[in-house]
Amino acid sequence: MRAHMGVPLIDARDLVRTYAMGGATEVFAVRGVSLSVDAGEFVALQGPSGSGKTTLLNLLGLLDRPDSGALTVAGVDASGLSENARADMRRDRFGFVFQTFNLIPVLSARENVEYPMAIAGRPASERKARAEDLLSTVGLAGKAGVRPDLLSGGQRQRVAIARALANEPAVVFADEPTANLDSHTADGILELMRRLCDASGVAFLFATHDPRVVEQARRVVALHDGRIESDAVKG
Amino acid sequence: MSPLALAWRNLVRQRRRTLLMGIVVAFGFAAFALAGGFIAQSFEGLREGTIRSVGQLQAVDRRAVASAEETTLQFGIPNAVRARALVAADPAVSSVLPRIDFVGLASNGSKSVPYLGVGVDPEPEAAATGAREMVVSGSYLSGDGGEGVLLGTGLAAALGAKAGDRITLMATTPDGSLNAVDALVRGLVDVRIKELNDRYVAAGTPLVSRLLQTEGTVSKLVIFLKPRVDEAAAAARIRAALTGAGYPVVVRGWRELALFYEQVKLLYVGIFGFVGTVLVVIVILSAAIVMTMAVVERTREIGTVRALGTRPSGVLRLFLAEGVLIALLGCAAGAVFALLVRAGLNAWGFTLPPPPGGTHGDPIHVQVYPLAYAAGFVAMLLTMTIASYFPARRAARLSIVEALAHV
Repeated sequence: MRAHMGVPLIDARDLVRTYAMGGATEVFAVRGVSLSVDAGEFVALQGPSGSGKTTLLNLLGLLDRPDSGALTVAGVDASGLSENARADMRRDRFGFVFQTFNLIPVLSARENVEYPMAIAGRPASERKARAEDLLSTVGLAGKAGVRPDLLSGGQRQRVAIARALANEPAVVFADEPTANLDSHTADGILELMRRLCDASGVAFLFATHDPRVVEQARRVVALHDGRIESDAVKG
Repeated sequence: MSPLALAWRNLVRQRRRTLLMGIVVAFGFAAFALAGGFIAQSFEGLREGTIRSVGQLQAVDRRAVASAEETTLQFGIPNAVRARALVAADPAVSSVLPRIDFVGLASNGSKSVPYLGVGVDPEPEAAATGAREMVVSGSYLSGDGGEGVLLGTGLAAALGAKAGDRITLMATTPDGSLNAVDALVRGLVDVRIKELNDRYVAAGTPLVSRLLQTEGTVSKLVIFLKPRVDEAAAAARIRAALTGAGYPVVVRGWRELALFYEQVKLLYVGIFGFVGTVLVVIVILSAAIVMTMAVVERTREIGTVRALGTRPSGVLRLFLAEGVLIALLGCAAGAVFALLVRAGLNAWGFTLPPPPGGTHGDPIHVQVYPLAYAAGFVAMLLTMTIASYFPARRAARLSIVEALAHV
């Protein structure tokens, strides 16, 4: 386990999450996990299927609520937040990248990137400029007006990364971001995220069992049966 | 990207579903608009027919309201010419028609048939009520009517009479004696009610007065008013003028005289209200099913926008906006459809079957009734909002994790 200086960006203490599996049977997806993440970290949550990495990512990203345990985000206790406050915190502090890209199909690439800024109430001119800037950053300057169904898998994931960065988040959660990509494209996406992490100081937290992601990560947290098995920072 | 703009994109994306739902709404709207127009036409026809028959106002001796006459013209209005002039002097009045109600027997010499007679001032009567249009054979009464009479087609058939034939009218005078006059059949009329056609006789007031031996006395004054005047105020003024001149009358409006008008109106409102309710329920159920399908199909998308920070109320607004947009589009299409159907029906000249006891049905003439269009719009808007609300609320309450994992 790691020692921290000051207030961590995300600080989870003894998180527990169970699921009912028919009748009275309860399955522990996460069993008393404690984990801290600091700004600018590039962390991989690694483990086999069913180890709890996606569940943990969902808990840390405020997409799900733990059965017990404490979670603070930049010093704010997230446990007692209302649904609206959690939504606002996700919008303002977090970005998300999904395995299946999850772009809004009726919006163009630029409009997809604009979406988080739109729900944050940012002016249209500012949204448009920032979206185009972000698309340029991820190498899609010429694809702003293109709908997701006309983009390749790699391009869609780049749009998703640009969208995740739209509201200048403190941390981007990425659940198996390379699982649906060929190895060449996956390498490009990983390189892009690492570059963005270095350039902007945004923390990236991956749930993955892709060895390439683990290889690129600067810190690897290994999970097994809902518990942290190891938490190692690479030299 | 406003909820409406996003909703519009989703509707365009799901063209088939939008089209299906739009058609349901359009039919619902058109049904409201057309039924409303038809009801308006029916009420208008009923109102006009009632007024043509009983006038807008009627002045009668107040005793005639409380009890039935034991002898002919027992409660009549004497010196009717003076009373008529008093009423005609009111600025709201357009015409005053004297009428004498009487009964008796009509005979062709070998056969006698009972009749219900009405004495009229022929020309003003025809001008105000369109009585001339009822003539199906021969001609209308001329001048003061002279010795001419009009017979209902059924009565004429019973007597074997036709225009130009002579008949004898018999009736009881106020003093109880029997009197008879010879009359010339000027024409046969169809008063559109079979039972009345079998008994109807109309003649000029001079002939009727001679028959009844009641010179100058009428049963009632039927009053027509100028357009857009206050009926109640006119009735009050006329009653005051007649009462002040020594006529103990009451003046009643056509609604009071034709109780069946309100009853028929209530019946129509009941029938169309029921049909409208069924229609709204069908649209709600159809729309709810379609919107629920939309929510299910877009579960992962809902999870995504929630993950990105859209509040539950934002998801609710998104789906409600889709429902409202479908309602707007459907109503616009429905309005066009209703206007086309209306034009087709009116051009076709389709005639409705006659009402019970009637001899003729009326041709369908569907009006453009703005209130029905407004009611259709409000009904469809509310319907789609209600139909969208519950699937939208379900979408807003979805677990983000489960929604993202939806396949």
